[in-house]
Amino acid sequence: MRGYLAYFAKRFGQFALVVFIGVNLAYVITHATPIDPVEQSIAVVTSFGNTAPEAIEHMRRSLQELYGLKGTPWEQYVTFWSRILRGDFGPSLSAFPTPVSTLIARALPWTAGLLIISTLITWALGNWLGGLAGYYQKNRTLKAMGVIAMALHPVPYYIVALALLVAFGFLWPILPIGGGSAMNIQQGWNWTFISSVIKHSILPALSLILLGLGSWFLGMRSLVSNVVTEDYVVYAEVAGVDSGRILNSYVMRNALVPQVTGLAMSLGGIFNGAVITEKVFGYPGLGSLLVDAVYAGDYGLVLGVTTVSILGVSVCVLVIDLLYPLLDPRVQVS
Amino acid sequence: MKRIRAMLLAACVLTPAWGMYSPAEAQGIPQNIPRKELVILENPEGTIKNAGWFNIWAINAGSQSNGLQQVALDTLWYIDPEKGLDGAWDNSLAADKPIYNADFTEMRVKLRRGIFWSDGVEFSSADVKATVDIMIKNPSMRFSAVLINNVASVETPDAETVVFKLKKPNSRFHANFTVRWAGIWIMPKHIFEKVEDPVKFDFNKPVSLGAYTLHSFDPDGKWYIWQRREDWQRTTLGRFGQPAPRYLAYVDPGPPDKRVIAQLNKELDVIHDIAPEGMFTLAKNKATRAWFKGFPYGHPDPTLPAVVFNTQNEHFKNRDVRWALAMVIDPKAVVMAAYRGAATISAIAVPPTGVHPDAYHFQMEGWLKDFELDTGKRKIKPYDPAVGKQIADMLRPSMGDQIPTDANEIARAFVTGWWKPDAQAATELLERAGYKKQGNQWMGPDGKPFTVRLMVEGDFRPVMTRAGSMIVQQWRQFGIDAKVDVAQGTLLTRRAAGDFDSFIGWSVETWGGHNDLSFFMDSWHSQFVSEPGKSQPLRNWQRWSHPELDKYIEQIRSISFDDPKGVEIGKEYVKLMVREMPIIPLMAYNVFTAMDTTYWTGWPTAENPYANPVTNWGNSRYMFVKIKPAN
Repeated sequence: MRGYLAYFAKRFGQFALVVFIGVNLAYVITHATPIDPVEQSIAVVTSFGNTAPEAIEHMRRSLQELYGLKGTPWEQYVTFWSRILRGDFGPSLSAFPTPVSTLIARALPWTAGLLIISTLITWALGNWLGGLAGYYQKNRTLKAMGVIAMALHPVPYYIVALALLVAFGFLWPILPIGGGSAMNIQQGWNWTFISSVIKHSILPALSLILLGLGSWFLGMRSLVSNVVTEDYVVYAEVAGVDSGRILNSYVMRNALVPQVTGLAMSLGGIFNGAVITEKVFGYPGLGSLLVDAVYAGDYGLVLGVTTVSILGVSVCVLVIDLLYPLLDPRVQVS
Repeated sequence: MKRIRAMLLAACVLTPAWGMYSPAEAQGIPQNIPRKELVILENPEGTIKNAGWFNIWAINAGSQSNGLQQVALDTLWYIDPEKGLDGAWDNSLAADKPIYNADFTEMRVKLRRGIFWSDGVEFSSADVKATVDIMIKNPSMRFSAVLINNVASVETPDAETVVFKLKKPNSRFHANFTVRWAGIWIMPKHIFEKVEDPVKFDFNKPVSLGAYTLHSFDPDGKWYIWQRREDWQRTTLGRFGQPAPRYLAYVDPGPPDKRVIAQLNKELDVIHDIAPEGMFTLAKNKATRAWFKGFPYGHPDPTLPAVVFNTQNEHFKNRDVRWALAMVIDPKAVVMAAYRGAATISAIAVPPTGVHPDAYHFQMEGWLKDFELDTGKRKIKPYDPAVGKQIADMLRPSMGDQIPTDANEIARAFVTGWWKPDAQAATELLERAGYKKQGNQWMGPDGKPFTVRLMVEGDFRPVMTRAGSMIVQQWRQFGIDAKVDVAQGTLLTRRAAGDFDSFIGWSVETWGGHNDLSFFMDSWHSQFVSEPGKSQPLRNWQRWSHPELDKYIEQIRSISFDDPKGVEIGKEYVKLMVREMPIIPLMAYNVFTAMDTTYWTGWPTAENPYANPVTNWGNSRYMFVKIKPAN
């Protein structure tokens, strides 16, 4: 137990360092953007009537004060960290005065719902089929699936997404092609809304699953192909152990360890959002929020989303690091 | 393995079947609203991240064109870029045109009576006064700067009279309260007077002064539904009859491909704008109607895409250099690259749209034909009146009957001429400016390569980006070290800061439905030109000043809005712009608004130009009293 605590302390220290460096990098990069949110607002303001340069300067000062952009860079940096530690990202500059945290909280459930489910389905299906393909190497159906997975894998995401849209939104129009739910439905815990959300998520989820499946499938197949040649597997086969048990308990479980790490990284990555998915399918989420914020020079919002993303990836990696000794005894020993 | 196969088969069958359980829940149609009572329009702002914000008087906080400015708000006057329902000028909340005193330091407005906010409070002069006073008191609001700049005080002698006392003479002050795309919208005093901080007030649910009121909206910003007011007669639109649609939905339909699919699926009645290729696809559909029945389809907005030079850049201070670059451009290649030919070109610095072709383009054809350019070695007549016809001829083999053959129709669709590409003249002009060609490379007077960066917006505005790329290619072929400079989201900041050599965009925007040019021209006065390195106020992005231009601007300031002398002064401005070429005018900004006639007919078109059909313009509200349900 003492050894595990030392392991925990070490991993937690690494986690804290990664988060600190990541958030600082995000702060520096976002503040280096050539887009000035004040100028963006002034462009809107001055589109009505002719405004003298002195009035523009007056407006600039008012907006800087309103947006909290006054003060030296060091003062702004200290303010930023004091806010972060209180869980406050400040107001969004492109949706002023709405807090960044409100915008993120509105978008995050959509992103998390879509990506967690599609990532888990992709992971489970890809590994299951890949494991079978690696174990039953002569099976023609599984061989064919390997070919399909390899063929689909390099296709650009946009093409697949568009093909799905055309297929199920136009040629055989049975699925919605945009939005998170149907129009004019009250959001809430009622079946009408939930079923509409499920229906609207089918195409985006399908596109993510189709393209994500290949890498898990191929990875697992090659991992299993190596494991099946291990002595303990050969010994189990010679000893007449049931093939299903060999596959599930001896082969899959051992081959899964690196795949679990990959899953943790993928789950952490969902906090980045799925920009292209959200754009193509018009699905609400963090990715679009981030892109819009970058274009608007809204560094408060960019920082908010990237900080959530850094925390998401780091927490997932930390959790998997902490669970590793339970999954693989060799980690505990070392 | 049999089990595995069975499961895979079941998955393949069930996955698509999952979506079929409720065919009544169609893709993009609001639930519980009869389709025949609903018009679905694109909101080009896309997804609104702050969906529940309706305080349009705060800057950048929420959406404007989600229906809010089109059907829920109102102001004193509207000028339609087209003919309008009863003329381009419409007295909306005002009962008549503005009345100025002799020196334009006072504007008196008579208001309509019997107009009500949707909560039953009657609109009055107090609302107008509150709108001005609140924004002056809160200097970081959307219209504060222009009001602080102009207004000394507002008086309301009675409920139907407003008197604006101005700080300085301004014969065009009413333009601020006149909708072209938007204007200063009138605030409900009875709501805002109770608000502690109007900058941080969301105005949700909005009280409406227009004929529609908010029905529902998506908290994730994908759609807004507006419902016709029961008391629509008590709104300014009521003068023209009952708006036919009971409901309007402003939606984010997504990227262009999806807009096409949505319209073909009858889930989007009006597409705001689409790439030419998308328009050509939709044009094959019998139910789709664009502004022009055939080629070039798009509605020419009263804006003028041009090559805008930064005239504070050493190279572009010289008129000969600007003209040389114009002489290298082949307009046919540019319109093909940008719009696949579906463009309305303009050689002069006035958009070829609305009332302008009759007042300027066709009227000045003779002067343009006679115009002589001194290259330093000879005098040439650079204007080629046949370019419009040449574009039509070029397109006819591929577009067939869609291309008009009648000279008048060609002139309306493509306008008339442009500058004839003349590399020799460009060479002579550059040589006169002290440039030299070494090999295939032009060198500046300082002996360094002549380098030009042409800034474009990239994916944000693909049509203009394609035009810019073609122009850069033509400059490079001539031996200039030209490069495309993709600004993407940084364009507004860089444009204001003067951080560009040249860019594709517009600094000329007009009313379209009225020939007064002050809308853009007044801001071109030298008094507004910033020093290099400092931010330039709208709209003189070229930072160009000229004593003659100042003279014309001051002349226009001294006459009233409707004074016919305005057009004569405008023609002198056009001549100056041709001589000096601070921008190279290219074409109208054609907006490919696609209107579906399956559920609604009577959309505004070139044959029936009663309103601008572009969905995000404030004037698009006039469509709703003219369209009718299709049988």
